[in-house]
Amino acid sequence: MLLAYTSLTLRAFASIGRSLSGRSTLRVHATFVQMVNVGVNSLPTVGLACLFMGLVLAMQSAGQLAQLGATERVADLVSFAMLREIGPLITAVVVIGRSGSSITAELGTMKVSEEIEALEVMAIDPVRYLVVPRLLAMIIMMPCLTIIGEALGLFGGWLLGVNSLSLDPLLYITRSLQAVDLKDLYTGLFKSLVFGFLIGSIACTYGMEVRDGAEGVGRNTTQSVVSCLLAMLGMDAILTAIFFFAT
Amino acid sequence: MSETKSTHALEVRGLVKKFGPRTVLNDISFTLKRGEILVIMGGSGCGKSTLLRHLIGVLKPNEGEIHVLGTDITKLDDDGLAKVRRRFAMMHQFGALLNSLTVGQNVALPLLESGNVSESIADLVVKLKLELVGLTGFEHLKPSEISGGMRKRVGMARALALDPELLFCDEPTSGLDPVMTAVIDQLTLDMVHKLGITAVVVTHDMTSAFRIANKMIMLFEGQIIAQGTPDEIRNNPDPRLQQFIKGEADGPIPLKLSRDDYIKRLLSVD
Repeated sequence: MLLAYTSLTLRAFASIGRSLSGRSTLRVHATFVQMVNVGVNSLPTVGLACLFMGLVLAMQSAGQLAQLGATERVADLVSFAMLREIGPLITAVVVIGRSGSSITAELGTMKVSEEIEALEVMAIDPVRYLVVPRLLAMIIMMPCLTIIGEALGLFGGWLLGVNSLSLDPLLYITRSLQAVDLKDLYTGLFKSLVFGFLIGSIACTYGMEVRDGAEGVGRNTTQSVVSCLLAMLGMDAILTAIFFFAT
Repeated sequence: MSETKSTHALEVRGLVKKFGPRTVLNDISFTLKRGEILVIMGGSGCGKSTLLRHLIGVLKPNEGEIHVLGTDITKLDDDGLAKVRRRFAMMHQFGALLNSLTVGQNVALPLLESGNVSESIADLVVKLKLELVGLTGFEHLKPSEISGGMRKRVGMARALALDPELLFCDEPTSGLDPVMTAVIDQLTLDMVHKLGITAVVVTHDMTSAFRIANKMIMLFEGQIIAQGTPDEIRNNPDPRLQQFIKGEADGPIPLKLSRDDYIKRLLSVD
């Protein structure tokens, strides 16, 4: 599977390269369709998940910080955690479950019903036709989803802070802004971009590698979700180490 | 340019294919002249679909050469294969339409992806090709909304969209009613006689096979047991061939195991 993954990813980038150098055309319309599938349609789920995570973060930290007499620091903690870690992570988890699985199942079903073979016989490269739009959509939309998710997560923290912890609404916002700097935002978004690439490429590989009919589609979809989650969390650890630990 | 001048549309030499220890195709050799219709016949599991998948470059043989339109496709890389594939078309057994696209978009797909055709021209060609297969007005339906026979015919329209030099058909008439079978047969004949294309048809529909073929090949257990014109095939004394043509249940083609073999298999005794 690792060989198939490397080969497919290289072919996808070669295809993007050919499109950029004008030797073939990029399927712009199909990419936008996938961006709607992957991004716009995931927005309600990502938004709600991040909102809930914001509320939970605020609730969990409020008790601990109250013991230290620093309840107002809830704002610092929520914004810090949301931008650096929770926002990109929760968004990726939702997208893996929602869009990664659907990409694998869709491509797998196409493979099983000989649609991909038919494309090849028509001299249409399935990587250019199917994989590249999905991969690009994933890479473009993950940071977009993440930034909206983070905003709603911060809003969740604010809601709890203002309503249950009786913090001053404006003070909460000011504290939030002071607690984080631009690096926190950029690194979080960079993470989400890498997650997007990982999810897109892994989901497409498992889809294109489906064998043995309907059973194979089910098996590869499960494996795709598991591999995406593990790869994403592993990459998260590596990137966190690079950005905040090793330097 | 020499390759395009070859008089043979198809030339297969010494093709051998093994799946593990099992030999599925054994020493297959035949040629097909341009402008002819070749029918490949044989029972289920005799290797005819595997042979077809070799001819369109989906499978690579263990041994042998396959010259399609003058080029040996067994030695080509992906780009080289794509170049040859642009000159031929394939009608799949179940249509192999893209389910996310409409019927019209499916037929337009090879046109638009070829990069030389504008959308308005493609629209026109789609209507013409759908009319050829008797599906005028079905452009806006999804493949899931039409019957299996209709999907097959859309597959035929899509295969004809780019006016290929060579057309491969996998069971083009199975599952079609007698009238539609005749329409598809006539269409294949028209394509060959009027447009000068070459066709390779895999089928076990004998009526249809004798109606369209210039040349026939009978496959049996991965080997060619007879090839020739329809008359030569009809008069071939090989009992396996005669049983197949006449569609008799009893004969040399072993459908059931012999009593001894049956007991051996059942009791797993060697």
